Amino acid sequence: MTVSNDSIGKAVRDFLAEAEEIIDQLNNDLVSMGDCAETGDCNPDLINAIFRGAHSLKGLAGIFGFSEIGDLAHNMENLLDSLRLGRVEITPVMMSVLFDAMDLLGALVRGAGEGHLDASGIPLMVSRINACASATQKSQEVSPLATLGLTDAVLNALTEYEEHRLLENVKKGRLIYSIIASFSLTTFDQELGELTDLLKQGGEVISTLPTVGSGSEAGIDFEILFGSTKGEDGVSGLSGRPGITVRLLGAQSTPPSPSQPAQAAEPPTASPSDSAHDHPAAALPAQAAADAAMTAKSMSRMVRVDIVKLDDLMNIVGELVLSHSAINELVGKVRSSGFSTLAIELGKAAKVLQRKLNELQKGVMEIRMIPVGQLYEKMSRIVRKVSREQGKKVDLRVFGADTELDKLIIEDISDPMMHIIRNSIDHGIETPEERVRLGKDEKGVIRLSSFQKGNHVVIEVEDDGRGIDIARVKKKALEKGLIQENDPLSERDALELIFLPGFSTSDTVTDISGRGVGMDVVRNNIAAVSGMVDIETRPGQGSKVIITLPITLAIIKALIINIVGRTYAMPITSVLETILVERSDIRTIERKEVIQLRDMTLPLVRLGRFFEIEGGDVLPESFYVVVVGVAEKRLGIVVDDLLGQQDIVIKSIGETFKGFKGISGAADLGDQRTILVLDVGGIISEATRGSV
Amino acid sequence: MKKILIVEDSSAMRSLLISTIEALEGFEIVEAANGFEALRLLPRERVDLVITDINMPDINGLELIRYVRNSAIYKSIPLFIISTESSERDLAKGLALGANEYLIKPFDPADLQKLLLKYLG
Repeated sequence: MTVSNDSIGKAVRDFLAEAEEIIDQLNNDLVSMGDCAETGDCNPDLINAIFRGAHSLKGLAGIFGFSEIGDLAHNMENLLDSLRLGRVEITPVMMSVLFDAMDLLGALVRGAGEGHLDASGIPLMVSRINACASATQKSQEVSPLATLGLTDAVLNALTEYEEHRLLENVKKGRLIYSIIASFSLTTFDQELGELTDLLKQGGEVISTLPTVGSGSEAGIDFEILFGSTKGEDGVSGLSGRPGITVRLLGAQSTPPSPSQPAQAAEPPTASPSDSAHDHPAAALPAQAAADAAMTAKSMSRMVRVDIVKLDDLMNIVGELVLSHSAINELVGKVRSSGFSTLAIELGKAAKVLQRKLNELQKGVMEIRMIPVGQLYEKMSRIVRKVSREQGKKVDLRVFGADTELDKLIIEDISDPMMHIIRNSIDHGIETPEERVRLGKDEKGVIRLSSFQKGNHVVIEVEDDGRGIDIARVKKKALEKGLIQENDPLSERDALELIFLPGFSTSDTVTDISGRGVGMDVVRNNIAAVSGMVDIETRPGQGSKVIITLPITLAIIKALIINIVGRTYAMPITSVLETILVERSDIRTIERKEVIQLRDMTLPLVRLGRFFEIEGGDVLPESFYVVVVGVAEKRLGIVVDDLLGQQDIVIKSIGETFKGFKGISGAADLGDQRTILVLDVGGIISEATRGSV
Repeated sequence: MKKILIVEDSSAMRSLLISTIEALEGFEIVEAANGFEALRLLPRERVDLVITDINMPDINGLELIRYVRNSAIYKSIPLFIISTESSERDLAKGLALGANEYLIKPFDPADLQKLLLKYLG
């Protein structure tokens, strides 16, 4: 099926965006369902929401021609439909199947987005889903709804699901009420929302039927079917507002008259619909005004924007920043040519421009920011899945979920984060039996916390497992030939070994952590967004992985430096200070050049050697050292010249330079020159590892 | 210009319905993401036809159809249901409540266009 319209491309993108959103929501809901499945008391709204998600996904996928996705969603929908209609019971097996099916759906949608959809896993998944649907089939029962005395008019407008809920409420011995409320057309959604919220505190809102207001088109009445254990007075008390009739339905009641639903309910104090009815001329202008106010308000105040558009915007802002630098240079030139008054005026104008540019830059940057909580939601699913597979009990605790980070950074670190968490569960957290034996709570705890620290955001993943066995790490490194027998290694250095390529302490390769992705890949991925990973561990008490990330990547303040005739930019956030050093201050320890900086020994790195550039081996009498630091590590970078500070827009340098250590990107200088941006974190880890 | 109200909670599905209808000349579209919005739009817009989904939170499509058919003003507006085959009973109820036509997702745009021209052309 095709649609002959230009907007189809956009529609497919809409589909992908919406499908992803639905899947994220479904995943969250499934996690909640997993929780309540244990206690056996799931909120029907939750299960219905999950059903509706699968249902929408199926409809969408079918329309856009992704029949494989539609097929899977269709089968899930059937199972969920039986579940919400009470034909089957939730079982742990079913939860597992649903989680796995959700993962597959996610993978399929991502595949569809990237243009290569691998449908090979679907048939197996479909048979698993169907097995689960038929295994727990309950016998169908005949509806005793007739005893409630509901009119056909009401019964006919109930969906199958609502009918089922009504039945469930009756079976549970709850009383069924018909609540009739009148509202003005202009304010009904808010008032009805408030009323349903109040009612939900004392029972279940089964259905909300709108009817034309009693005689007036400006009013609207609702008949709410409500199930509760409370008595009639209790239910009347719940609503807390006048103008509402509550009637208990049952064999003894007479059927409600739909044509006259709210006559008895008219409150003594005039309701908006009342006054409009009685004095139409007087009330209408006010109504119209209120109406107009409502029109301007859209239901959702969010806008969904493709990140590429924000990138474009960011680039334009970046170019404006560069133009501003050019103007500033002109100010200097004008001044030196003797036009000092003109230079001052121009300088003032440039200052104003700069202030506004800063605001613009900040504004665009803020749009790109999303709360880390979105990442945490994904992680909670991983924790659930992995701990289930491993037979471990894990409690995920989340702190600082509202800390904000650039959307792209969040995207880029979700895989490394996932791996770190898998590691924690796989290697860190002990089995429940072992934990009990060790006197720990049988449930392990993983804490995800994030907070802002200056221009960085720190994310910590902490577990209370067995910690990292340093002796075992050393032994493994020795076996793999990564270190020599007699290498003097501090605990810190030994811990660093796990970040080496090809290192894995797990003797048996597991399905989870043993997928060929090691901590070296984690470190590289995080370095790619100018971040750093550190690890701390206490034997028997757990480990903590600390990820330090820049808040945003797009525009940064940089120190422009010159080394062996080449110009580089260095993010100012990692520069601690610049010092002038005499050649005679250099000492050599273990073949490494160091200087004494106050009370610490600072290792030096010569970038000429680091990048293997010819020349520059002989240092002048005195030279500059830029002291850089990321997390707890410090390093002195020897430079030939400091060219000043500047705002730069970092651009990706593409695949060619990928894996090229020490470079994180390129930037344009105001004068059309392109220079490389140093990856300070990468240089520090390389240099402190001793390869330079 | 005939005005069509689309009531559908999936925005992608709405976009698709819109692009299908926009391929025809002479139709103006009003969108509602749920039953509430639809109820609010009805008195404000002089709607000539309603296309509604059935499974929506809060006020569902059936309830909307019932409301429209019971209203003195709107009762003669043509009403199409667009839903999936899994809710056959709901579809049947919708037709019993007075919906004129139904379309099953995934629907063929040509079918929708034909139906629109039949009722509004």
